[in-house]
Amino acid sequence: MMNKRSTTQSVILYTLVLALVIFCVFPFLQILSTSLKHPIDWGNPSLIPRVLHLDAYKELLGLMPPKEADVPASVQRLLDNPALSAEKKQMLLDKFSSGGDVFPFGRYMLNTFVISFVTGICSTFLASLAAYAIARLRFPAQSLMANGVLFVYMVGGVLLMVPLYQMSVNVGLASSATGTIFSLFLIYLIQTLPVAMYMLGNYFRTIPFSLEEAAMMDGCSRVEAFWRIIMPLSKPMLFTVFIYCFVIAWNEYLFASVFLKQYQDFQTLPLALQTLFTSKNAIWDRIMAASMLTLLPVVICFMLANKHLSGGLTDGGVKG
Amino acid sequence: MKSKTSLFVAGTMLVNGLLISQLTHAATVEFWTAQTQTDRLQNIELLASTFEALNDGVTVKVVAVDENEMATQMAAAVAAGTTPQLIEVNSEIIMTLGEEGIVDTKTHQGVIKDIGKNRFHKGALTTLTSPSGDYYGLPYHGWIQGIWYRKDWFDEKGLAAPNTWENIETAAKALTDKANNQYGILVGTKQDSYTEQVFTQLALSNNASEFDAKGNLVFNSPATLETIKYYKELAKYNPPGPQNWRARDYYLQGKMGMFFYSTYIMDDLALAEVAKGSLSSENFKELSGGTFDPELVKNTAFAPIITHKSAASYGTLSGLVALKTKSAEDTKATKDFIEFMYDPASYITFLHMAPGGMNPMLKGIAEDPAYLEDPNGVFKLYGADKMKQIVSGFDDIRSFSVVKGKTFPASGAIFAKSVIPRMIYDVTIEGKDPQAALDSAEAEMKAIMGE
Amino acid sequence: MSSVLIKNESRLGLKLVAPAVGIIGLLVIYPILFNIYLSFFDVQLNGTKTFVGMENYTDLLGNPRYFHSIGVSVIYLIGTVVGTTVLGLAAAILMNQEFRFRNLARGLILLPYFAPVISVVFGWQFIFDPVNGIYNHVVVDVLHLTDTRENLIGNPDSALFVVILFDIWKHFPIAYLLFLAKLQSVPKDLYEAAAIDGQNAWGRFWHVTLPELRFVIATVVLLRIIWNLNRFEDVYLLAPNVETLPIFTYYQAFAGIVDQGVAAAISVIQLLVLVGLIWLYVRKVLKW
Repeated sequence: MMNKRSTTQSVILYTLVLALVIFCVFPFLQILSTSLKHPIDWGNPSLIPRVLHLDAYKELLGLMPPKEADVPASVQRLLDNPALSAEKKQMLLDKFSSGGDVFPFGRYMLNTFVISFVTGICSTFLASLAAYAIARLRFPAQSLMANGVLFVYMVGGVLLMVPLYQMSVNVGLASSATGTIFSLFLIYLIQTLPVAMYMLGNYFRTIPFSLEEAAMMDGCSRVEAFWRIIMPLSKPMLFTVFIYCFVIAWNEYLFASVFLKQYQDFQTLPLALQTLFTSKNAIWDRIMAASMLTLLPVVICFMLANKHLSGGLTDGGVKG
Repeated sequence: MKSKTSLFVAGTMLVNGLLISQLTHAATVEFWTAQTQTDRLQNIELLASTFEALNDGVTVKVVAVDENEMATQMAAAVAAGTTPQLIEVNSEIIMTLGEEGIVDTKTHQGVIKDIGKNRFHKGALTTLTSPSGDYYGLPYHGWIQGIWYRKDWFDEKGLAAPNTWENIETAAKALTDKANNQYGILVGTKQDSYTEQVFTQLALSNNASEFDAKGNLVFNSPATLETIKYYKELAKYNPPGPQNWRARDYYLQGKMGMFFYSTYIMDDLALAEVAKGSLSSENFKELSGGTFDPELVKNTAFAPIITHKSAASYGTLSGLVALKTKSAEDTKATKDFIEFMYDPASYITFLHMAPGGMNPMLKGIAEDPAYLEDPNGVFKLYGADKMKQIVSGFDDIRSFSVVKGKTFPASGAIFAKSVIPRMIYDVTIEGKDPQAALDSAEAEMKAIMGE
Repeated sequence: MSSVLIKNESRLGLKLVAPAVGIIGLLVIYPILFNIYLSFFDVQLNGTKTFVGMENYTDLLGNPRYFHSIGVSVIYLIGTVVGTTVLGLAAAILMNQEFRFRNLARGLILLPYFAPVISVVFGWQFIFDPVNGIYNHVVVDVLHLTDTRENLIGNPDSALFVVILFDIWKHFPIAYLLFLAKLQSVPKDLYEAAAIDGQNAWGRFWHVTLPELRFVIATVVLLRIIWNLNRFEDVYLLAPNVETLPIFTYYQAFAGIVDQGVAAAISVIQLLVLVGLIWLYVRKVLKW
């Protein structure tokens, strides 16, 4: 069928492919382009910046050269307070000149990474236990649970927004930063657990039972068979599921906005970017650079997991 | 399994590490500021750190909250029991919070006594006084609004300065060329506070107001209706669709002839001056639809007073508000911090974050030579005369909430619910009939006052 | 297997599912029930509750904004479901052909799906900026289709279509993946037989591809409806003025005049619809 293509057909095919790829990629090019433009250049519709302008990235990554020695007179006067020791004065001066924590992008990235990583690990771990049980073991209410997982997986976050917030207020978790982060972690866990269970359950079913059986013949217990046979065999899938959970948490905005708004130090990237956007700066270059930097880890993750991901996604009829 | 456990443990420890940095101190001042712009925050952080360095055991935590979200965030914080100790926000929101009874007026009284009541500008203090004579907030800085316009374009077309309704409309029309992506004016049409600010100045110049001197709601008047209709006319020369202050970017790009803005813009205009230094304008000569004007500051003029039935200058002030706390240490630290913020050295540092935009509320600060030497050279750039003209608008600031020396806090509540911006949006964007929009706005105002 | 073994197995099974099911029960099932309970109260942000009976529901049914948001949601659902399905199918057929750089193209078209919403919405907003955006530049200055520049995202009516386009862009890859997987398993001789019968490309698509994909198409459509009924971030972050049901709920619960009881009531009604759809999915799709 393929070798019978005429030139016209080829042209049409390549045009369509190109159109599709451009449709998909164009917004990314726009983001990249604007992130590299000088503010004066924003009105220019061309994607190619007239002058390459890397300040936005430098600022976000803390690579800006420290401000030159000319500390404003008012600040100088402020710090000339005789009650300040020379040591403290230097400390304040350094802090002021560094300008590093104006928009602590690194901190937001770390926050997001930590909560996503912990969510990914916990979720994958708990899900592998449960998925194994549901896929392989017989126990009461098994099919109820299997279907229940599917149901839970489809109930969106918006529907749970009010009760979950009220629960955390009632329990008193919402009034401290620690409690809030813990609430958020639990919420991310339930947002990822069902999909992780679903993906892993489907995968475990594809592993021939005879492998476990053989191990148990050799005197392994069920649990040992699970750890020694199933888990090692599932490594690529476990990794894929971990990445998937990690990315769900990394991207989450709704609950982060409801819970973390007041705790600026602990905000995650999606929330921080939205805040940056509403701040009173002409900030297109910075917001676009921040977008690129938020995007990057996700793209890397998916490149790492891509091989198994496509399969995993289609098996699971996955969230999206 | 082993590696999994250790990863799990490592993850948990990372989280703990994050949490431990949240140690408790002897006294904490959580300071919410409406200054969300990053370089301003840097200055406020410096002030906070300096205060910490001067006062052992006190932590000042600076949190930036967008002005449009301040009311909601406060409600959430009060609900969750995480009320901050101090906030810096505009007078409308201050009056609303005052009416809710969460403001620590005793601390304000104390600060005013320590500094001296007659050192504050009288009008500013009146604006933040409750009907019963309490101070709901302490005036800290203020701005005035007016029309900023391209003097060179006005001269070229022989247009008169935009200081009357007729002049504004004529100029807006003359400077609009939509086919070439040129817009005559910017008035707010989104449902946010910028819209209310633009509308208020026009309404005041038409002698329209929310309240009469007895506190009766008189918003639904022929004068208001006339203002709405005029506003709708002006909105025709706006950049497409709902717009807010963000569209001032188009002015900097040479795509807009004039725009309502506060004195805050002075700093941003000066940025163009900085750009001039670092880039040759050659690079930007051929920008489609816009031109980069290195002489933007020189070519920009300011019309702070708009006259129709009366002359109106409009501005608003922001104040510091101490909120009630449970801990006496926190209250004391908050009072100390407020007084530190009024100390000339720190005060000028704060005001210099937006030279021209933030004007002092204490007498004598403006004459301080240190004040006139701002880091961006804005005061030098504009020259003493222009500065004088700008500050002249301050003598007679008017607003909806103060009528003949009396304050009406309900105006703050109406502001917080964006009644006027939504009315303007309905008329300018949705094409709603002005009288119908005015009627429903009045109904909403009544509902708010009835609560 | 002896009864002891069965007993052991079921005990182990329960032990393994306990943590996951416990967390899900506590944080999904309980909140759903709690939500139904809350919907009969006037609920403040701080948790203060006053019993109001059916008032939240009657308020809601008398609120034109609620019905407006249902209307918006319906248009949104129809647009996105049709769009993602059609584009997903077209992309799958295209990517099932052999051509140079196919792997690269296959990778690139997955990008929108992978990208965090927050990292792409600002790019989209910039594209549609009325004065500086490339959309208006192309439509007005290059193609001269109209004279007037439009603020597509600023106006709620046109913003709805931008939001639909955005959703199609962002989510067609998942439909594409499902279709591609199925296409690859369609036996080649079916096509060859059709070709021998004198069917042209269109006929082969109509008589071979579509029937083979029937079930996948149904799956995609149903899943799109289920996910998009709850979609919040994509809409809210790109154009907060487009009031689909989830956005309306969010405004009721967390912005302006907070009314979490009403928000709970909206969620309850929406949940009922959702349960119906999920039931359909489990009954029909999973049995296939």
